[in-house]
Amino acid sequence: MSAPTSGATVSPRPGLARSSAVVCRQELRDLWLSGRGIPLLLAFSVLLSVTSYLVASNQALNFLEQRESVNLTLQMAVAVGGLMVLLIAGDGVSGERERETLESLLLTPAPSRSLVLGKAAAALSLWLASFVVTAVYVVFLARGVGIVADALVSGFLVGTLLSVFLAGFGLFISVLSSSNRFSLSVALFALLALFAPSQLPTSAQNGWAGDALLHFDPFTAGLQYLSKVIVDAHGLGSDLLWLVGPAIAAAAAWVALWVASGRLRLTPGRR
Amino acid sequence: MGDTAVWSEGLTKRYGATLAVDSVDLEVAQGTVLGFLGPNGAGKTTVIRMLSTILEPDAGSFSVAGVSGRDRVAVRERIGVLPESAGYPRHQTGQEWLTYHGQLFGRSVGESRTRAEAWLREVGLEERGSSLIGAYSRGMRQRLGIARALIHDPQVLFLDEPTLGLDPAGQRQILELVSLIARQRNVTVVFSSHLLAEVEEVCEQVLILNQGRVVAHGTVAEVVRTAAAPRTAVVQVPAHDTARAVAVLEHAGVTAAQATQRRAGMIVVGLDSGEPPSSFAGVVLTTLVEADVAVLGLEIEGGRLSDAFLTLTAPS
Repeated sequence: MSAPTSGATVSPRPGLARSSAVVCRQELRDLWLSGRGIPLLLAFSVLLSVTSYLVASNQALNFLEQRESVNLTLQMAVAVGGLMVLLIAGDGVSGERERETLESLLLTPAPSRSLVLGKAAAALSLWLASFVVTAVYVVFLARGVGIVADALVSGFLVGTLLSVFLAGFGLFISVLSSSNRFSLSVALFALLALFAPSQLPTSAQNGWAGDALLHFDPFTAGLQYLSKVIVDAHGLGSDLLWLVGPAIAAAAAWVALWVASGRLRLTPGRR
Repeated sequence: MGDTAVWSEGLTKRYGATLAVDSVDLEVAQGTVLGFLGPNGAGKTTVIRMLSTILEPDAGSFSVAGVSGRDRVAVRERIGVLPESAGYPRHQTGQEWLTYHGQLFGRSVGESRTRAEAWLREVGLEERGSSLIGAYSRGMRQRLGIARALIHDPQVLFLDEPTLGLDPAGQRQILELVSLIARQRNVTVVFSSHLLAEVEEVCEQVLILNQGRVVAHGTVAEVVRTAAAPRTAVVQVPAHDTARAVAVLEHAGVTAAQATQRRAGMIVVGLDSGEPPSSFAGVVLTTLVEADVAVLGLEIEGGRLSDAFLTLTAPS
């Protein structure tokens, strides 16, 4: 059998967009055809079913107002969907390091940022799939009160902003981590810390400091926006200020990721 | 540097206080198969990682395939590397993984797929291309790794311990593959290994690294000649003739006057340092044959690459 013909010419250098698309396509295959995508989405669906059943039965007993049921379901979907994105993103680079597959990727002429961008896009697909599942439940729970459209739009908006933030943050930590365990521990700790302000007693949420915390903590602000739109029946455009915090967090995470991924190394911190 | 495929000057790398690579100068001609040797921790992998742009040197400069090491992307386009600790995605098929890497080197999906099939054939994995890599044996994974390193037709191929952990049959397959690639494609191969006998067989040149420094570089014959002058020879005779053979040799005044008996049939003969091994062998053979002692074997010890390696890398 003859060897493939030897070519002295070098192929056109792959650009950022093309390489990112190649990486994204492969990551999507890995995630959905042979990876954790389907099991995670199944687990998410089961969780959402249980939650929806509980809120629907409470609603039937008049313990929960219908709008609150929709809000609770959406909040849970946004939080768990974001968590799944964080898990996949946190594994992105540190997982490759741990499995010793990063070196062969770094040895290609593809820009190192394209590896990260492709992985981020694939991680975000998990949120999109979660939202499709969530939409079915929201349509069922919100029927009759005329909030289906607002609930879906606000849920998609908040969930997407938070998922973009978490994808960027998870990958940023992953780029800087030599082990998956460390990367996921830091990412999960940060996620819990970001949820903490939403659990503060009402008295602690008063005053300018409490107000600033509520507005700038991306999770608390995002969930507040959902409540305003769904429970308080404010219009989608009335409380957009609540989305500034998640948007700033997402932008900051991606700037940090952009800088860090430009210096992606086989061993973090070693030139 | 027209025909020079790999060149470095003063290449140095530190890990904290440890000097891993100390001012390595290197020149490898196009089409050469270079055996890159050294004990564990000598700095071989660090040198390969610097030359393949994975690590930045702390000092020194290098070029690969005529491209300066400062242009990392251009170097990567021209090299293929099988890293020492290469991992493989267990849930991808061999075909899929090669196609993916072909695309990362700027080739189209169709072209990458065609090349993946061709290289799977070339490395003897055409039957397993659609199997998950997780089901491959270690030898198959190494062959797949070599195919990946070659998917974009590199001009220089770095193979870092490609035979590590393989059984003798697997080692033989890899070595034959390396020889074939070098011969058919005029690719410069830098081949790091601990299999000295095989390196001697496959490589035209060797470079020995010890404690981060180059201690020998040249053809196998040059390195052996400068570092491992033969010191002894083992003569094998019929067991019942051992004592007589020793006596005959001593009586004949062979340079190895102090022949000693190791075990029945085996005689170890010391060589004077200045005596050429070939003429010494001739004298021993003639003496024994004329005395009617059958010579079953004669082996000059200390004239191999492994002896040179041990001499050059011995702790001072």
